[in-house]
Amino acid sequence: MIFARRAWSVVWKDLLVERRSKETLNALAFFSLLLLFVFQFALGPDRERLAAALPGLLWLGFVLAGLLGLGRTFVLERENDCWEGLILAPGDKSAIYVGKLAANVTLMLVVEGLILLLFAVFFNVDLAPALTGLALVMILGTVGLAAVGTLFAAMTAQVRARELLFPVLLLPVQVPVLLGEPLGAVGHWLGLLAAADVIYIVTGLLTFDFLLES
Amino acid sequence: MTRVLGWLAALALLAGLGMAFAVAPREATQGTVQRIMYVHVPSVWVAYCAFVVVFVASIAYLATRAEAADRLAHASAEVGVLFTGLTIATGSIWGKPTWGTWWTWDARLTSVAVLFVMYVGYLLLRGMIDEGERAARYAAVLGVVAALNIPLVHFSVLWWRTLHQPPSLMKPGPSSMPPVIVRALLVNFAAFALLYLYFVAKRIRLLRLEGEAGA
Amino acid sequence: MGDNWGFVLAAYALAAIVLTGYWRHLVRRERELNAPVAGHPPGAPGAPPRQQ
Repeated sequence: MIFARRAWSVVWKDLLVERRSKETLNALAFFSLLLLFVFQFALGPDRERLAAALPGLLWLGFVLAGLLGLGRTFVLERENDCWEGLILAPGDKSAIYVGKLAANVTLMLVVEGLILLLFAVFFNVDLAPALTGLALVMILGTVGLAAVGTLFAAMTAQVRARELLFPVLLLPVQVPVLLGEPLGAVGHWLGLLAAADVIYIVTGLLTFDFLLES
Repeated sequence: MTRVLGWLAALALLAGLGMAFAVAPREATQGTVQRIMYVHVPSVWVAYCAFVVVFVASIAYLATRAEAADRLAHASAEVGVLFTGLTIATGSIWGKPTWGTWWTWDARLTSVAVLFVMYVGYLLLRGMIDEGERAARYAAVLGVVAALNIPLVHFSVLWWRTLHQPPSLMKPGPSSMPPVIVRALLVNFAAFALLYLYFVAKRIRLLRLEGEAGA
Repeated sequence: MGDNWGFVLAAYALAAIVLTGYWRHLVRRERELNAPVAGHPPGAPGAPPRQQ
């Protein structure tokens, strides 16, 4: 299928560029480490208060890293004058969306895994019992965040003050994911996250073409 | 035509005021303060209707590229944000004497706050794109996404709250409403709806004028 | 619970102020946009000079 091949080439290109430069991954990894400090300092020496806040802080870390990482989705194309190339690409542009989405989800899951590891080590959290549930919620939540984030990144790519507008647009739309992730253990939350993911992806597939018209 | 609408709206608003203060009874548990409901609830109903209109107009624009659809979406979003802000403000004023606080993260207030922020973002996006056609297109996409998000936000916030608080702490107001109160609500809703139509009509005319003037 | 008339008035006054304010904004903008047709060309950059 041409669609799948096109999408795959976008994924491959993005991941290859990332693997070579490691620009985004390094910056996000370092950012995650800094988050640890920020959270520790913000919540003070009270160990119990910190322990109670940990699930929320974890997802907060994911979201902040996601905002930074997702906002950069089209930055390479923009900086290297490839935006017109995207617009002029023949055929179904939503293949580009799928490719970018897959690359973003991969990148974000790697960063989130790193954040999880840092949390486990520095905050002395035992993850083993909750790991499968956690992984499931992480995947569902990340897909949702990336589905809308990729769409909005394309929308704000050519806009003035894009770094400001992107989070402003993304955060309210992500409220279901933000609320669902910390509480993901409960059954119907997984259902909500899954439903949100489906809605976001389908919407992205249907509307991405409109963003890349000349 | 628009002027007729305006006069109708004004009359209906007066009728609504009458219903709210003269006809509707004084509520037992909350007292007079409960009358704020007659401006708070119709306001939020109109806001939701406004954003449904934005949704439909956005789809219509993406399908037909008719400028009229774009103008409708833009105008409806602006008036919708106006009424949403009014909902939050009146809700807050109502909450202070009844709950003892200006704000609480209960399900309904939180949902409406998220709604407000989403559509302010919509207006910001429009403001930040200079080319008219691209602004219309991008805003239409956002209009679709935001509207589809409304039920998701509603349920996630609802479950988030019921998980932490008993339902009795939800929005104050009579749980089963006597008909006279329902009637007062409906009259005010009709009044606000007419006002919405009037505002949207005027705003669309302004957009058309702005387009012609090259502003 | 007391009557809290102050709050009721505050809420309705706020609604009145906001809605009237928006209405006046719309009316004023419309007047501005309609006025230049009389012969004062709008100062919009890039507006072509009128051919009489």
